[in-house]
Amino acid sequence: MGKAFGSEPLGKTLYNGKRPRRRREWRGLRDTWYDYTRWLYYLFILGKFMMKPNNFKGFFRYRWMSNYLAVPDFMDRHTEGLRGTALRLAHEGIGLIIIDMTISLTDIFKADPEIGNDTELSKKMVVFDENMMSTLMGGFRNLKWVCYEVPAIYTSSFMCQDGVMHYVDKTQEYGVPGDVCPMPAAELGAALEDDLPKIGVCAIQCNTTCDGSLMGGGLMARSMGIPTFQLASPIRHRQESVQDYAADEIYNAIKFIEEQTGEKYDWDYLFENMDRFNQETKEFLEWLEINKSPYPQLLGATLGFYRYGEYMAAGGRSPIFLETSKKITALATKAYQNKEMACKEYRHRAILWGVQAAYYTAFPNWLMNCWGIVPINDMLCCVSTEMVSTTDKRQALLDLGYLYENMIMRSRSNGGYETGVEDLFRICEQMNVDMVIMYVHIGCKSMAGYHGLFEEEARKRGIHWIWVSHNLMVPLDGTRRDMRTEVNRYMRTILKEEPVDPSLEDFDDSLCW
Amino acid sequence: MKDLKHLYYFEKLLEESYNDLCRKGQEDGNIAIGHVCFQIPEPLLNLPGCFSTRLRAPRTGSIEMGTYYMSSTLCEACRAYLERAIEGGFNFLDCILAPDACAQMNRCVENIEHQNLINKETFFVTYADVPMKSDETALKHYVKQMRIRVLEPLNEHFGIDISDQALRMAVKEQNEISRLISAIGDYRKLECPKITGYEFAVFCLASYVCPKYLIKDKLKETLEELKTREPDPADKYRIRAVMVGSEIDDPEFIKLAEECGALIVADRFCFGSLPGRQEIELTEDEDALTQICRTYLQWGKCPRFFNQEKVMERREYVDYLAKEYQADGLIYEQIKFCDYWGYERAAAFHIMDEEYGYPVLSVDRPYAVRSSGQLRTRIQAFVERVEMKKLAAKKNGRAE
Repeated sequence: MGKAFGSEPLGKTLYNGKRPRRRREWRGLRDTWYDYTRWLYYLFILGKFMMKPNNFKGFFRYRWMSNYLAVPDFMDRHTEGLRGTALRLAHEGIGLIIIDMTISLTDIFKADPEIGNDTELSKKMVVFDENMMSTLMGGFRNLKWVCYEVPAIYTSSFMCQDGVMHYVDKTQEYGVPGDVCPMPAAELGAALEDDLPKIGVCAIQCNTTCDGSLMGGGLMARSMGIPTFQLASPIRHRQESVQDYAADEIYNAIKFIEEQTGEKYDWDYLFENMDRFNQETKEFLEWLEINKSPYPQLLGATLGFYRYGEYMAAGGRSPIFLETSKKITALATKAYQNKEMACKEYRHRAILWGVQAAYYTAFPNWLMNCWGIVPINDMLCCVSTEMVSTTDKRQALLDLGYLYENMIMRSRSNGGYETGVEDLFRICEQMNVDMVIMYVHIGCKSMAGYHGLFEEEARKRGIHWIWVSHNLMVPLDGTRRDMRTEVNRYMRTILKEEPVDPSLEDFDDSLCW
Repeated sequence: MKDLKHLYYFEKLLEESYNDLCRKGQEDGNIAIGHVCFQIPEPLLNLPGCFSTRLRAPRTGSIEMGTYYMSSTLCEACRAYLERAIEGGFNFLDCILAPDACAQMNRCVENIEHQNLINKETFFVTYADVPMKSDETALKHYVKQMRIRVLEPLNEHFGIDISDQALRMAVKEQNEISRLISAIGDYRKLECPKITGYEFAVFCLASYVCPKYLIKDKLKETLEELKTREPDPADKYRIRAVMVGSEIDDPEFIKLAEECGALIVADRFCFGSLPGRQEIELTEDEDALTQICRTYLQWGKCPRFFNQEKVMERREYVDYLAKEYQADGLIYEQIKFCDYWGYERAAAFHIMDEEYGYPVLSVDRPYAVRSSGQLRTRIQAFVERVEMKKLAAKKNGRAE
């Protein structure tokens, strides 16, 4: 029990087979105090959020809102075992996402005809698809980007492991097969259940991650009741020949929004936002450089969550993200210079490839704490790091087109062997890793198609390859414990290793949030 | 009905991927192009000096190797094709020109390529990015992709003539086949159809997997034969149905449905004739490639087209077919694990029933269906349901 990493057996002290944790983690006086004050801050943010009448009504109107009761636990899960800078980086990064989410939900409920009924606000809102970048909205000074599928489904599932299973069930009752990806299935389920707000003046849908996502969006358009534009981003996005089409589609989407809202696209405003976006990208590249070293700092869930929020949702429009990014860089650089660790032992450096389980986003923390496997980079963070032009309109369209082709997940699930397989091993070499944790998302057809090729390539290069099965938002199909067992088996039977923290090897968290 | 003269011949052809006519096509000096999706217009693959054959895996047994490489949650058709490639069944191909239309078929082709399964030295694969919408922006992109991913590689690798004139010749040949297939298919519209869904599926499928110039004569003879063929009585089949859905590259599935009493009068599925076997109309005021691509964009009924106009068009088209072919019900089918048709089928089950008034059977199925008792039971139950409905309607009509 103390300030050192791994000073207490987390499996025994935190988990008791029930929903709440046995007690808070003791991290030494300084870190515990910091962590506790941050934890109180989140409670304060949530309390403040609930004090607003619209939000209070929204809480009782939408079933998925109950998942947000687990926000404090969510933070505890993603800071488990962390100390010092690693703890602070997690709070800086993930904490901002929580604050951003409350702002977004406040706007949604205010505009919702069943709650705040602010029709003027609703008329300024453009609804975007799930997993779709908001970046092109950077040129509409007076419009609001909104994506209600994110708080309703995507982050809901992060907060509470079985939080969206009800919606998946509804989609299956409707007749959609159980083998499709649960994310679009849950979104469709929420639409079928009339559990999504009817807001916005128009909507942009996109062929984001996969075939299932595209189809779910198509059906959802029926229930939106507003004009929708389908932005078709090219699939073979590494081919030079598709870039003009990508840019043209961005242009068509902009024209559509202009027609529906009467707003004019403000290129200067876009360039201003893209300049910020570019600076954020530069900060991100710094973090990757640090992670290539023997003292990586921004790891696992911290890196993943923050990058998602910054790259996909904020899209350069929010100054606070750049400020936070700079703060993160400063913290990480200092920690690197001081040769600080993020867990007790660094035994293996790993890339997490495939899609993470939304119901177990704290899995990377477990990898570090239990086995000393350091998640150096995550497939979802391996997105475009190209700069967007801030001077030339056509070039900016081409750059935006490329960004949309390289949205999180899509950049790897689309594009073929080159992006899904070849790039992985190139990144392994760059990041100096010896292990790949390969998520087998049961409903994801894109990565599953490379199953044999992955194994053959890993074998050729002598990289440890651990398959970890899950079903994204349906924990029943592959529980958190099942996921851990797959790693445990490999570590024990193939590598003959003993865990860093044996109490974490097997414990029951099936009832936890 | 008396057996059609050439039915057995075509059935035998369909028993192999590398059938006798593909062999003959190559002996005649043509290049064999592997084709995996409707999204690459057939005339581009059937230019003078080459022919296309759409990949399929007839008489599939175990697909264990395909499953290892692509996992057990992917489309069985794709796994079966990969298995067939591993077995060497596609070694005759000179190239595969594939679109990246669905992730699963793309992975299948990528596995074929990266495992070096086809041992010809000159063999190559290209992947075209094909649009998911059908507007002018998409058309421009489509034309560009077809030029650089299909035509130019054919010219560079094999010296195939890709001129406008050559394209027009290919269209002319395809139109000839399409006219024959459509004329044969029109006999399904009759009250007592002169051809069954199964028989038609055999002829139509052959037109996708054999060099077209080698089947022309037999199709012509079949058409002549149909003119005088004595049909079965109207009550031989209990209902008439439109088959809608994903790939059916084995007519046995149609046979199974017909054995259960559902005559398949229209084939709105991949490998079917609706659409795909209509004539491509070319004018002189625009280049042939653009016109061909525009036609295929308009024809495209795959659920991957996700703009709302196309979504509506798909339903309207099925409604049109059901009326035109006097169908009593719709069978929506998909090969298990197909994301596109998984959603499309589920939605159609509700929409085509509630908004268009058709009884709908919605089924997912394995790739090889021959011995599926489960499917048989589902179709039988559907036939009974539709039959009861017809009887009730008749009774009500009489009472009124």
